[in-house]
Amino acid sequence: MTTLKKKEQTFLIDLLDFQDSLNGNSEFVDNVRMKGADEVRNTPFPHSKDEEWRFISLRDLYSDSYQHVSVLEEKDPDLRDYFLPECANSRLVFINGVFSIKHSSVEALPDDIVIDSLARLAASDNPLVKEHLNKYTTFEGDVFSSFSDAFLQDGAFIYVPKGRKIDTPIHLLFVQTEADITYFTTSHSVIVADEGSEITVVEDHIGLGDNKYFNLPVVEVSAGKEAYVKHTKIQRDSQEAIHIARTSAFVEKHANYESYTITIGAKLSRNEPRISQRDEEVKFTVDGLVLIDGEQVSDTHSVMDHRFPHCESHQLHKCVIIDKAHSVFNGKIFVRPHAQKIDSFQENRNLLLSRKGLVNTKPQLEIFADDVVCTHGATIGQLDEEEVFYLKSRGLNEKQAKELLIYAFALETIENITVDSVQKLLVDEVHNFTERQLHSEFTI
Amino acid sequence: MLKIKDLHAVVEEDGSEILKGVNLTINKGEVHAIMGPNGSGKSTLSKVVAGHPAYEVTAGDILFEGESILELDPEERAHKGIFLAFQYPVEVPGVTNKTLLRQAYNTIAKAQGKEELDPIEFEDYVAERMEVVEMRPEFLERSVNAGFSGGEKKRNEIFQMAVLNPKLSFLDETDSGLDIDALKVVAEGINQISGKENSIVMVTHYQRILDYIVPDHVHVMVDGRIVKSGEKDLALKLEEQGYDWLAEIPSAAVNGQK
Amino acid sequence: MSTEALESMVGGEYKYGFTTNVEYEEFPRGINEDIIREISRRKDEPEWVTEFRLEAYEKWKQMEEPNWHNVHYESPDFENIQYYSATKKNNGKRPESLDDVDPEIIATYEKLGIPLQEQKQLQGIAVDAIFDSESIFTTFKEKLKEEGVIFCSISEAIHDYPEIVKKYLGTVVPKGDNFYAALNSAVFSDGSFCYVPKDTVCPMELASYFRINNEQSGQFERTLIICEENSKVSYLEGCTAPKFSSTQMHAAVVELVALENAEIKYSTIQNWYSGDEKGQGGVFNFVTKRGHCRGDNSKISWTQVETGSAITWKYPSVILQGDNSVGEFFSVAVTSNRQQADTGTKMIHIGKNTTSTIISKGISAGESNNSYRGQVKISSRAENAKNYSVCDSMLIGQTCGAHTFPYIESANPTAKVEHEASTSRVGEDQIFYLQQRGMSEDDAVSLIVNGFAKDVLKELPMEFAVEADKLLGIKLEGSVG
Repeated sequence: MTTLKKKEQTFLIDLLDFQDSLNGNSEFVDNVRMKGADEVRNTPFPHSKDEEWRFISLRDLYSDSYQHVSVLEEKDPDLRDYFLPECANSRLVFINGVFSIKHSSVEALPDDIVIDSLARLAASDNPLVKEHLNKYTTFEGDVFSSFSDAFLQDGAFIYVPKGRKIDTPIHLLFVQTEADITYFTTSHSVIVADEGSEITVVEDHIGLGDNKYFNLPVVEVSAGKEAYVKHTKIQRDSQEAIHIARTSAFVEKHANYESYTITIGAKLSRNEPRISQRDEEVKFTVDGLVLIDGEQVSDTHSVMDHRFPHCESHQLHKCVIIDKAHSVFNGKIFVRPHAQKIDSFQENRNLLLSRKGLVNTKPQLEIFADDVVCTHGATIGQLDEEEVFYLKSRGLNEKQAKELLIYAFALETIENITVDSVQKLLVDEVHNFTERQLHSEFTI
Repeated sequence: MLKIKDLHAVVEEDGSEILKGVNLTINKGEVHAIMGPNGSGKSTLSKVVAGHPAYEVTAGDILFEGESILELDPEERAHKGIFLAFQYPVEVPGVTNKTLLRQAYNTIAKAQGKEELDPIEFEDYVAERMEVVEMRPEFLERSVNAGFSGGEKKRNEIFQMAVLNPKLSFLDETDSGLDIDALKVVAEGINQISGKENSIVMVTHYQRILDYIVPDHVHVMVDGRIVKSGEKDLALKLEEQGYDWLAEIPSAAVNGQK
Repeated sequence: MSTEALESMVGGEYKYGFTTNVEYEEFPRGINEDIIREISRRKDEPEWVTEFRLEAYEKWKQMEEPNWHNVHYESPDFENIQYYSATKKNNGKRPESLDDVDPEIIATYEKLGIPLQEQKQLQGIAVDAIFDSESIFTTFKEKLKEEGVIFCSISEAIHDYPEIVKKYLGTVVPKGDNFYAALNSAVFSDGSFCYVPKDTVCPMELASYFRINNEQSGQFERTLIICEENSKVSYLEGCTAPKFSSTQMHAAVVELVALENAEIKYSTIQNWYSGDEKGQGGVFNFVTKRGHCRGDNSKISWTQVETGSAITWKYPSVILQGDNSVGEFFSVAVTSNRQQADTGTKMIHIGKNTTSTIISKGISAGESNNSYRGQVKISSRAENAKNYSVCDSMLIGQTCGAHTFPYIESANPTAKVEHEASTSRVGEDQIFYLQQRGMSEDDAVSLIVNGFAKDVLKELPMEFAVEADKLLGIKLEGSVG
């Protein structure tokens, strides 16, 4: 235990020393950083003795010391393969945590929406940054959030004004390049949809190499009164990366927040979507799909916090586990006192296809109001033999039958994503994955 | 048997008035039909007679066998022999039909000073009543309405009515959601149960059930009042012409008073 | 019906709150090595038991009270508890016949509905009456012995069957398993012991009736049940306590061992005093219950109806080691007033083709909190293991809480685990519907709750089902506001 502690501290101190040398070009940002750094100094880093982290080991995170991504030379990779056709002119690109004007374009978007790099807006003292940054988060006391604050640098900032409905989806592309050193990178994005507005955002994390790095993205979303926010997150970081994300959304009266999180990459990933109902009569969705193999570990800890009466919430979290991969799910549904008439659904389904795979799941209900309908379910198992047999009896061979069934299993969570190219991309990813599954030596 | 006098009732939660002066008299052995467009208050009327807590009577009275029942709890009204076949029968998971029926039957029997039935006697009694609505025996072991289809729930209501043998039954949209075969079975059951001693009030939107159960009186309810009363042919006229022509008639003149 | 009316219906009068006037032996409070040796001395125990206790005490001293549970209470002052309580008349000696038992105590059991006198004894049930952790009397002992079944107090078993006790004691719940189990292992006073030999179906139900009477003492009973190959037993346990304004500590350990083809059914009706509506008094119930399906094709089934105690902390579990073994957990937990329950189970699948079923029904009312906490673990060797869990909660009123914490782990792709949970309430529409069919509000609520808990109640042995039904009724009936 002592060695681990020492490692945590190395990890922390090295970076905090470096933090002092950063310059935010903005007093506001500097203040956020200083406060964040203070909090980090006073908050212990988690380990698997903590209930919230008990199923995974953070050894991979603590075993290395990291350098800040800014020590890397500027890179200009070819990113065309990763662009979405619908978002040719509605895209912000960040390479190694820094905004890339060259690859970004927002021409397709109306003039009255504010969409830019957070760093640029902060440098020009745009009041929106001060007004919205860190206002929609429920990660008080969380050391990783403080850590992200301590290194606050850049990210996407989107503000959609009242009543503005945007059909064009917006692509936020976060690219990590290959490097000789182990680096860490943060990004902090803010999406504010004002009253009655609509927006679709695709948050996309890509690792170009197979190197180790630590990616810590923070995303805050505010779905204002009667707003409709669709948020898809695709995590395809490098297979050696560590991805620890903080995502929080505030959902105001009559608003609807839909999020779909797809986890494909990273050796160790931790998603923590936290949805906070801020007023009556709202809807939200927190679906997820996890496809992991090799020695990947994917951990999702979600919070659906029902704080007011009348809410419809939905969470379908599906995982396919092959090789030595390990999937963790802890979904918390809270219904606070007097938050009556809540209709909350949660299901975690796991396809454990390998001898060496492992699944932990802990769906959790904490209910303090009586007039509510809350259900949760969790399953862990194989493909249904009856279904395999049925398909074989229709002439498919075993491989085809299994592939089709895994595909069908995965598809349910992505078919609601409205951006066609994203759906197509994910369908391809599912195919690649099932292909890998069938060749895995541990597959039963 | 039942006399409703200038009955006004509001929804307790928001105070909105649903019944705005209903007058209705039902004699022993009569079959009445109350028709009317959606939202006219006909379902509310049956709930108010049964004592539903969501409604408050603000004026008027309901007399059953000559006594006001307004102050009685729902179960006390049931003990007197008032039965409501629910438009949306409620599910009670884990409680079997048999348990509910025996407990209900014996509670009512006790209140009426009749003899309670032990489980074996009750079994025989129920078996006989089941034939009335063509129920299968395994039905008794199922939970009350849980997982039932809409039609099964409606049949279950009539089955309960057959077992409890009430003096006055309000059948709230019992015909809705039934296919024609189920409708026939239900109607046949109702006809078998009704007799000289029992009165029946059918609250319905459609006249088709009246092809099978011929009412002595038909009332039309619009906006919280009975605006017209007549005989069976009134129902046919409504079927053909809808309810709009009734709006022309001043309600006070035809208030259902006979 | 208003919510207030519903709430006032819960927390019906506790009918077992009386105190029996008996004189107790002097015994100092607190815990240390001398105290433990003194307990052992008074019980005239062999050296290995004293050692067992002392080792447990050493472990306990190193341990901390658990804090992961969802219950909040003032930590008991372990130095202020009296760890041994024996009535004066018995003087630590076991009674040869009922004549040796304090008539007050016999009267107490009669009042609780468990007459001990031969002519009045419950038919078909052998009863071990345990008064303040002291086995007072065991009925039908001789009759059972004819079949080879041993049913007696654990103190007696330590003297008369040391080789069996030594072989199994602490093998399912090790001395240092957890804080409360360690404390129990150090100071356990009495409890029931049952041994069913090979190829024997125990001819009657066995039952222990636990009664806390002494306000000052804690109760630390220890139960051990062993079922040899091809044998079968059904065991019941009932618990009550007087109303005191102070709290009493109850930390029991129950160990079950099922060998090949053996089957143990263990049913509990726990109705310790739960404290008043302000949360004053009541029993702190910290219990470690675990069964070990050691042999192939063995089966252990836990059924519990938990209505009492201020704090309930118990997770009757099954280690499914034998191939094809079966574990079951059926639970109804009702909390009202300020009660807090954190209860559930662990199903640890090790053997092949092992199956487990969990059905938990939690009912919370008043200002209580009711938590289900369960673990299902499928080890990588547990080929074709299956688990099915249902955890439903029912809330009555708006000031209570229902919590579900299932921990599920599978490391075997041929295993199948299914868990589902839901919440529901006693609906006003349901009450009106039943009232319309002639039932009072009380009866309607009672019927709805019984329906909700039915899947569990039907698992109880006949003799207990009636009692459980009544108990739920009492708990949920009362003055309608």
